[in-house]
Amino acid sequence: MHDVYLAWRYLRHHKVRSLILTACLSLLMGLPLGLHRLLDEGEKRMTARAESTPLLVGAQGSAVDLTLNALYFTAAATPIAMREVERIAATGWADPLPVYARFKVRGQPLVGVELDYFDYRGLVPERGAMLALLGDCVLGADAAAALKLGPGDTLLTTPDNLFDLAGIYPLKLHVVGVLGKSHGPDDQAVFVDLQTAWVIEGLGHGHAGQPPSPAGAGPFAEAEARAQAKLVTYTEITPDNLDSFHFHGDPADYPVSAVIAVAHDARSATLLRGRYLAPDDTAQIVQPPKITQGLLQNIFRVGALFDAVSLLVGAATLLALGLVFALSLRLRRGELHTIFLLGCGRLTVLRLLAAEIVLLLLASGSVCLLGLEVLHRHAGDLMRRFFIS
Amino acid sequence: MSLPFPLLARYGFALCLWFLCAALARADTGRLKIVATNYPLAYFAGRLVGDRAAVEFPVPAADTDPAYWEPKAKGVAALQKADLILLNGADYEKWLPRVSLSKLKQVNTSAAFKDRYIHTEGVVVHSHGPGGTHAHAGTVYTTWLDFEQAALQAQAVAEAIAKKRPEWKSLVMENLAGLKADLLALDADLRSAAAAQPNKPWLAFHPIYDYLGRRYGFDIASVHWDTDEMPPPQEWEALKHTLAGHPAKWMLWEAAPLAEVAAKLEAMGVASVVFDPCGNRPREGDFLTVMRANVENLKAVLR
Ligand SMILES: [Zn+2]
Repeated sequence: MHDVYLAWRYLRHHKVRSLILTACLSLLMGLPLGLHRLLDEGEKRMTARAESTPLLVGAQGSAVDLTLNALYFTAAATPIAMREVERIAATGWADPLPVYARFKVRGQPLVGVELDYFDYRGLVPERGAMLALLGDCVLGADAAAALKLGPGDTLLTTPDNLFDLAGIYPLKLHVVGVLGKSHGPDDQAVFVDLQTAWVIEGLGHGHAGQPPSPAGAGPFAEAEARAQAKLVTYTEITPDNLDSFHFHGDPADYPVSAVIAVAHDARSATLLRGRYLAPDDTAQIVQPPKITQGLLQNIFRVGALFDAVSLLVGAATLLALGLVFALSLRLRRGELHTIFLLGCGRLTVLRLLAAEIVLLLLASGSVCLLGLEVLHRHAGDLMRRFFIS
Repeated sequence: MSLPFPLLARYGFALCLWFLCAALARADTGRLKIVATNYPLAYFAGRLVGDRAAVEFPVPAADTDPAYWEPKAKGVAALQKADLILLNGADYEKWLPRVSLSKLKQVNTSAAFKDRYIHTEGVVVHSHGPGGTHAHAGTVYTTWLDFEQAALQAQAVAEAIAKKRPEWKSLVMENLAGLKADLLALDADLRSAAAAQPNKPWLAFHPIYDYLGRRYGFDIASVHWDTDEMPPPQEWEALKHTLAGHPAKWMLWEAAPLAEVAAKLEAMGVASVVFDPCGNRPREGDFLTVMRANVENLKAVLR
């Protein structure tokens, strides 16, 4: 017990040295552990999200971009036409859930979906109501916190994508509800109805005066009608102008970025995948679990590299620490000699040093645990910030 | 170690009771809720399922044409609670692009004959007194006035219900046979009556009888009049022109016109015939009795 007390007094006396040693040791232990903790968390979440989205249909091109777009609302995906949704529905093998994630509003992804999406993901409003009319939006829990908005507020869509030539139509969205936390990418999103997303895209609009025939009027009739009435295009959808909102052209041509295909059973899924085998098909079908597995393998390769690096750094640090101890022993020669002269054996000196090391390890161990605990609390956010964004 | 039997029995009984209550509660909340956007579809659904499901028709008063109804936010919330949303299709639900509803619950009952929709050219805007203007453009939506098409719509309703509740399939299909027989009897009746006077020119007070005309061989020219309004003089002038090239002897109305309008038409040699499209719930009778009366009205003048 005296050993520990003496060691403690010694460490307290050399505060700076002790603190540096503790910091070195806790970093040495904490870094690889923390990284693996993050990787596990990332794997767990990505796998869960992908498993819950077994099949995705999107434009030909990067399957990774398509998956990231539909699952995390990041990465741009080439849009496909709405008729792909009809095509999936017509097979009778799967329920199509279109997702249109192309724009951002004040940094949060603006996601156009149909109501079925919320049922599928189990998202229900915690405050306020569900989308009802054109121009409504519901916020994911984190999006509501980030934007500091709640039911009854409005949110103006402004073009974040400056270089997007198609531009986005500034529309004042009505926040009607805030969704409960789902601990996934849905928490970040601002959800609108697919039709509202198309209004923002400029495919639908409302204007004073008689709307021209929605079907078969063609671009000429529209131009003429606009010119005639000097139409004012509304930037907010209100109960008074709601019925002037209309769409032009064939709805089957309207864009979506991906379609989640919820197959009725394994056989239907296989049959549906068979439908997308033609090499000249403009659409492709991908299996997000497989895509994310590929992504995760890359991440694990980086993790393994980090392990190798941290092993080397760790060895170097341990050598350095050994050197520190050896040097301090040399400095403490006089002190140790005094202890020896007081009648203590060599073993006592060793025990004293061991106690010092044990105390240092204990201190850095607790710092490391504390750090891991903090990391554990924020793993989701950290992972979202660094891995999938 | 043995449990006293009465205690076990008592717990067992309580447990059974609890299960029963839970099952009943679930059965009640599990009652299928069907919403139809016009009365004919609500009627079809009602005939197919009886009391097994709650069939709702959200359009209020009997004098509102469901084709011009538009749900408000609260009405949309009610529609969102339905398990099945029966749509007429053919551009009947013009409000559909402006509300958020589950696509998987919607059924377009006229999809089977999509390629036979009648499209009108141009835009006809006209006013109905102080109530504002409305336009007839695009697709003619009164699809059920061709009874063969009505039977196809009934079939679509039956299939949608059977898909939601497979255990009702045999019953629904049995009811469908009866409903189809009724509709096809009307069809046969009207066809044989119309065969006596094939391709005769007709007038219609509104362009809503195109499917009726196509199916039963009436050559219909439409005006845009109202049942409770005296058309302005220029309308009568235009009618004279129409009659010169289209010598119609009958004019179709959704309800009896004003007596003075009927008399003025009579003077021009045009008789008024009521054929109620029955888009909304009738004040008395049901879809079938109204349609039977319509057919009788037509038969009376075709005789
Ligand atoms: Zn327009």
